[in-house]
Amino acid sequence: MATRAFLVTSLLLSCLLQICSGAYFSSLQRTLIVTASPKAGEVLKSGEDKITVTWGLNQSYPAGTDSAYKTVKVKLCYAPISQVDRAWRKTVDQLTKDKTCQHMIVSQPYKASNNSVEWTIEKDVPTATYFIRTYAYDAEGQEVAYGQTTDAHKTTNLFGIEAITGRHASLDIAAICFSAFSVISLFGFFLVEKRKTRVAK
Amino acid sequence: MESKESQFALPVDSEHKATVFHPFSLAAPHMRAFHLAWLSLFATFFSTFAIPPLLPIIREDLKLTDTDIGNAGIASFMGSIFSRLAMGTACDVFGPRIASATLSLLTVPIVFSACFISTPQSFIVLRFLIGFSLANFISNQFWMSSMFSGCVVGLANGVAAGWANVGAGATQLIMPLIFAFITSFNVPAFTAWRVAFVVPALFQAVTALMVLFYGQDLPDGNYKRRQRSSTKPRESVFKVLLHGLSNYRGWVLGLTYGYCFGVELTVDNIIAQYFYDRFNLNIETAGAIAASFGVVNFFSRPAGGVISDEMGRRFGIRGRLWSLWIVQTVAGLLCILLGRVNTLGASILVICAFSVFVQAASGLTFGVVPFVSKRSLGVISGMTGSGGTVGAVVTQLLLFSGSKYSKETSISLMGVMMIICSTPITFIYFPQWGGMFCGPSYDSDWVDEEYRLIE
Repeated sequence: MATRAFLVTSLLLSCLLQICSGAYFSSLQRTLIVTASPKAGEVLKSGEDKITVTWGLNQSYPAGTDSAYKTVKVKLCYAPISQVDRAWRKTVDQLTKDKTCQHMIVSQPYKASNNSVEWTIEKDVPTATYFIRTYAYDAEGQEVAYGQTTDAHKTTNLFGIEAITGRHASLDIAAICFSAFSVISLFGFFLVEKRKTRVAK
Repeated sequence: MESKESQFALPVDSEHKATVFHPFSLAAPHMRAFHLAWLSLFATFFSTFAIPPLLPIIREDLKLTDTDIGNAGIASFMGSIFSRLAMGTACDVFGPRIASATLSLLTVPIVFSACFISTPQSFIVLRFLIGFSLANFISNQFWMSSMFSGCVVGLANGVAAGWANVGAGATQLIMPLIFAFITSFNVPAFTAWRVAFVVPALFQAVTALMVLFYGQDLPDGNYKRRQRSSTKPRESVFKVLLHGLSNYRGWVLGLTYGYCFGVELTVDNIIAQYFYDRFNLNIETAGAIAASFGVVNFFSRPAGGVISDEMGRRFGIRGRLWSLWIVQTVAGLLCILLGRVNTLGASILVICAFSVFVQAASGLTFGVVPFVSKRSLGVISGMTGSGGTVGAVVTQLLLFSGSKYSKETSISLMGVMMIICSTPITFIYFPQWGGMFCGPSYDSDWVDEEYRLIE
């Protein structure tokens, strides 16, 4: 009786810990097939170009594999080359700490097939090399499966996005005017002071 | 004949320097000079540290790597190492008013150039050039020493520096809020951060102009030429410089300041990004926490000065040295702890405690500086002040450039360095007053004038 209670408690605790610490990427099954419109090596412009993503369950898996899948999230993820020397984009196995996929494309309820979305690349997406990954979540909001447009080593089928420039002509002009004002006012002050001392003499 | 002293709102000494310090008064010329000094230095700290809280956005727009960010952080202090040394001479020749306002106004276009930059190299150059304006710390302290008499100069210096340092904290809170406000008008993030920089640039220009138009160098007026009091013997600048540089205590205090104020500067640079990345906070929350580190300067640095004065009154120089060593060591221990705590709540608690101790240590350091040498006070102050920025540069170079260590390990290592670099304080020894472990070896009623000639 006591041992059973102990076993149940420890099982519950480990489940709780698993939920608290989150899923690990290495424990996820790649059961989804994801395809996206950008071709390998293509460079798109943020704010203008669109990406079409289609995804569905890989039919070669046995029926019932997707019984736990409730929602999907499609995300834009950094390729390894864009993660070099940038610790804020690091890939970590524990998914709550993983920073590979920082841009959400869409989040919707799970359907086994006929999933498609057309997304205009948002203006805050930085210049980098990307791939697309879709996570499937269970009812508790925990990742249970995934699919991605690239291979397991994230080397194939990568595409680039070019960010908008943050500069703006009116901003440049305003900055130049104010800068000139501050430097001119400094020299203006010196002139006035010199004139004052000359008058005083 | 009516005494000249009565024309001042505050009681003054024979040099017309104020003998009391009323921070909430605007009386000209003394308190007005105080407010202009701390406000204009506040503006330069505000501009210099406006970049760190927005780094999560800037790093994406300018395609920066961790190495670039680290190099820029180092560059931001390198400029000020030399400019702080040069500022002392500039104040002697031109007066603190013109020296500080000129530096501020010439740095304003640099701050505005944040609107144009688009490459990592230009980012590093930007931070390097903005950093020059931190030399206004020297003119700030110089101005306070010209306006306030010996009995309150420590307090005036401490409050002026402390309130100005609050700028480094305020900017971490305010810049993300300005950024959020601008993005609420549907301005893209990569443009919004650039627009946000107009605020610190304009603020710096306005305060510099106020210094020019409302400030005066001395209680009796402005610098016309270097005034030399006839009671002091003329000294060659070179001899004064050599005398200061050959005093080992100046070097020890420079190292000490490098590991209290230098650590404060380093933390100002890295802390917003640290909280943003480690605890997945948004930019405003990370900025608010980073700000809480800097705004504590409002009372913690002056408190350091007050503690130093109180310990000095009770125990002499021994009290000042012991309190400096204890406070800085505790700060080092808290820094080690900061890198080790894993939860957000504990991190916030530790960083608040750490900020009080590290900033008090800065105030305590300048409580010892005036006693090292009367003849070469300016040089010792310059060595100590520059030591602060050298410490920041070295710490950033060793621990926060590139991705060698995780940020939390680097923070703990920084704490270890703080403790190690505060042990030389135990070696400081004044023959006439003693040191931490030894008593004085000279007669205790040594005449001040004789000391002055020797030291």
